[in-house]
Amino acid sequence: MKRPANLVYAPDDVPPPHVTAFNAIQHVGLIAINLVYPLLVFHLADAPLSLVSDLLAVGMIVLGAATLLQVLRLGPVGSGFLCPATFSAAYLSPSLLAAKAGGLSLVFGMTLLAGLLEAALARALPRLRSVFPAELSGVVIFMIGLSGGAAGLRSLLSADAVPMSPAEWGVAAFTLAAMVGLNVWGGGLLRMLCALIGLAAGYAAAGFAGLLGAGQLDGMDKAPWVAVPGLGHLSWSFELAMALPFAIACLAAAMKAVGTITVCQRMVDADWVRPDMRSATRGVLADGISTALAGLLNAVGTNTSTPSVGLASATGVASRRVGIAVGLMFIALGLLPKLTTLLALMPRSVMVAALLFAICFILINGLQVMTSRLLDSRRTLVIGLALIAGTSIEIFPVIAAHAGASWRPVIGSSLVFATLVGLALNLLFRIGVKQSAAIGVDPQRIDSTVIDDFLRGHGGRWGARPDVIARATFAANQLVEAAAEHGWKSGPLSLEASFDEFNLDLRLSYEGKALEFPDRRPSDEEIRDTDEGVRRLAGFMLRQNADRVRSEAQDGVATVHFHFDH
Amino acid sequence: MEITETKSGAVTTVALKGRVDSATAGTLRERLSKLVESVPARLVIDFRDVAYISSAGFRTLLIIAKQSEDAKGGLALCGFSSEVRRLFEIAAFTELFLILPSREEAIAALGSMK
Repeated sequence: MKRPANLVYAPDDVPPPHVTAFNAIQHVGLIAINLVYPLLVFHLADAPLSLVSDLLAVGMIVLGAATLLQVLRLGPVGSGFLCPATFSAAYLSPSLLAAKAGGLSLVFGMTLLAGLLEAALARALPRLRSVFPAELSGVVIFMIGLSGGAAGLRSLLSADAVPMSPAEWGVAAFTLAAMVGLNVWGGGLLRMLCALIGLAAGYAAAGFAGLLGAGQLDGMDKAPWVAVPGLGHLSWSFELAMALPFAIACLAAAMKAVGTITVCQRMVDADWVRPDMRSATRGVLADGISTALAGLLNAVGTNTSTPSVGLASATGVASRRVGIAVGLMFIALGLLPKLTTLLALMPRSVMVAALLFAICFILINGLQVMTSRLLDSRRTLVIGLALIAGTSIEIFPVIAAHAGASWRPVIGSSLVFATLVGLALNLLFRIGVKQSAAIGVDPQRIDSTVIDDFLRGHGGRWGARPDVIARATFAANQLVEAAAEHGWKSGPLSLEASFDEFNLDLRLSYEGKALEFPDRRPSDEEIRDTDEGVRRLAGFMLRQNADRVRSEAQDGVATVHFHFDH
Repeated sequence: MEITETKSGAVTTVALKGRVDSATAGTLRERLSKLVESVPARLVIDFRDVAYISSAGFRTLLIIAKQSEDAKGGLALCGFSSEVRRLFEIAAFTELFLILPSREEAIAALGSMK
């Protein structure tokens, strides 16, 4: 690992206290905009002010705990990167559906299940890359923005709601203009905190416009300065029809967490070549546990904050200490009832502006991820047809209204429908993608250049990355060498290579004893003084070199499988 | 594999070209052992033109390192490509040797040894 030149504080570094505090405030300011997601859900459920205040307070404490969990690396949990938690748009659309169908208890119950599912999925994620490629992640992110934005606006501006007055539209326009203006033309700190300053400006404008009168502020006056939020509201319920939307949201949250943690890995290592799935898996586990905790304590789903990682990248401050400060700040904010009551009073006009502002970045992020890879005809069709499917559900609600009860979980949500169409097409189009080739190696004439040429030549034609081909070439050569010295009896050794865009696999088989692939390196003395030590070193290196190794022996034929993620 | 020796003051540089594997490790070991035994040598092994090193090559390096230590000589490695560095890392050999980016730095490091 090599420290990048623009990295000022690496994860293990300890910045001075004022740098830690100042950076932590900026992160909290960035994350504040996402408070609009739980507020929208509580608004749709028509929750009373005191309850919303308590729920927000609990939510902030959950964000604090989730951030600490991600940063601290407790046991197998947490990526160890400065990757704070935030309320996630991924859960907005399913949460609004659940709030409408079964109230807040259904939102919290399903959030708890989604978190547990994400935690369970964490270890399997590296193997799901081919099922859920980048372009499909992009479609899901885009649809999170589209469906969440549409559902949020629908809940605020629907035909059942009191129509927005001209004053409310004026405050919404002013709030949005403040956020956009600071984001586009503001410099440094003003730009970083544009959402927070915009929210404050929106509250002030709403006050001037008479939308936040003394009557509404009574609740804030009565709230104490410091108190532990009440937990009398705890309730959960579950419904099978909600399982699919929340499962899709959980999958999207897991994929986004992998993406965010990968950005963190690149940020702190100039030698970064490919994602390290170990820290990503730990991060997704932390993310899942955090969402489960959110459901348990009655908050909405959480996820890693991409803008926060962008901030760390821009400032070069990626120290874990900052993450700990962010976590503690959120917990402290959750203990200030006057603040959470003020947030609970957020006028509808300010919520509309905040939602529009937040959704813009999600939509564009989705587009960027979709187009981050070369779009051949297969990917073009996956993206195009999935987007058409999803947007059709939003534009023509009559499709869902006329669907049979068994189809409602699939067609009732544009996010779910687009994701399922994308998943199905992606799996269909994988037919015929895998390519393979084989050669035989004669024990009397072992020529490493033949193996090199075979793997480099086919790898080049298949479009495999050179670093993965280099690892495969080492695996084949080292195995042939070790087998020739220690276990290969007679007959040719067969080497088969197969490739699709996510996997490079080698299969080598020969007559003789199977090699061992120990996970512990032999000692220097063993390597120096015994053939057994050299053989074990070869096995150890081969295990370290590949992403997965499997060895078997049957009827005197040893077969070794090497797998490389691509 | 081609092995080229050059002297620079008290330091001998051995430049390797090709692959360090079971087919070439024996020859390399013989050449390096002679150098270590003939004088308590300060030896730089330049890997600039090496693309591959296997477990057999690593064994040779361990043997030479031990001989050099016993003879109170000095040993440094240099000129690693990213692939050779990766192989040293997966074999957990990076902490066992003095590894420097360039031949000049390696010669300077051994030249200043007391």
